[in-house]
Amino acid sequence: MQKIPLMLAKAGMILARDVFRGNSPIGMPLCGKGTELTDSLIVRFENMDVQTVHVEGHPVWEEGECSVDDLLRQLDSRFSKTLQEPLNVALYNIYKAYLTRCMGGDSDKQAR
Amino acid sequence: MTSKRGDLKKIIMDTKTLPTLPTVIQKLNSLSDNDKSSVQEMAKIVTSDQVISARILRLANSPSYGFYRVSTISNAMILLGVNVVKSLALSSSIFAIMEKDIVGLWEHSLGVGAAANLIARKLGLPECEEIATAGLLHDIGKVIISIKCSEAEKEILKLVRERRIYTMEAEMEIIDTDHAEVGGWLAKCWFLPDKLGEPIAFHHDVAASRNHRIKTAVVHIADVLICASGFSNSGESFVPPIQKIAWDTLKLNEQILAELVDEIEDKLVEVKNFSLEMMAD
Repeated sequence: MQKIPLMLAKAGMILARDVFRGNSPIGMPLCGKGTELTDSLIVRFENMDVQTVHVEGHPVWEEGECSVDDLLRQLDSRFSKTLQEPLNVALYNIYKAYLTRCMGGDSDKQAR
Repeated sequence: MTSKRGDLKKIIMDTKTLPTLPTVIQKLNSLSDNDKSSVQEMAKIVTSDQVISARILRLANSPSYGFYRVSTISNAMILLGVNVVKSLALSSSIFAIMEKDIVGLWEHSLGVGAAANLIARKLGLPECEEIATAGLLHDIGKVIISIKCSEAEKEILKLVRERRIYTMEAEMEIIDTDHAEVGGWLAKCWFLPDKLGEPIAFHHDVAASRNHRIKTAVVHIADVLICASGFSNSGESFVPPIQKIAWDTLKLNEQILAELVDEIEDKLVEVKNFSLEMMAD
């Protein structure tokens, strides 16, 4: 599952979570999970103030976002100067867990 | 060395060429200091400048503040409060100075603003909006250095790349000061309140902040978190060390930090969306 800005949503992607008006999790969902996105549906979401959608898999690859391994390597490089600081080590571990959780396709199901 | 720094201070703070804040903001400041002025009066002043109004509405609906949908200035003042609108007017004017060619820094600032807001809310701190504004503005010194000493800026960037050091260290070496201090000078020149000036001047040295240490600590942590997330390329390739004093001041622990990372990453998707929209214009 990946959370993407609506601007990057394309027809054919599958919703992984219900979509709510204005992204507020209260009230009636506009569209249920499992729905395949279409261009007209995306326009309707735009009009309803939806900013982000959760879609199945990892369809949007942004610049610099290559794979879990690459992301972890970049994380290592960012932290390479501060891994002797205990607080930064804690932050590093949190981010490492976060990235692995987000990018590993199946870990979503395990988390639930 | 001190004379070099003094000369530089003179160059950077040369008031003739320093970007100025629009008169609307000065008027708004003086009106809001007066207890007798009404929201309508203040809204009228703001609406007299359509560019600032447009920017305020845009920012009011942005992820840094976007908890409401706002369509008029007086609504913004009533819903968000006069202080928030004042901060918005200020940050929107500063964005105009920053321009879009420094996209990385711009996104980094938006991200730190949003993160500072989240941290302040999570910890239940007062004046969240001021903290968010301080977050937005924390690297304003970098903008001024790039406007005023573009040659030196190139050398700084080169040094950062070649020697793999922090921007701060390169700045110290080349211009004998750093962007935090320059930002502090600028805050003084613009008569910004201390609660914004201190976090700007001391976000890399929380211990030096005397009167607004909590706000400074939030901005410091927000800056570190955004660097850690690799959200945008602000020219900084390494995560700065988390300062113990900031950690202790905010009474953070690992669990809070983990929750913050989740919330911030969620928010950053919106920030990215907002910045993509702005770039598309």
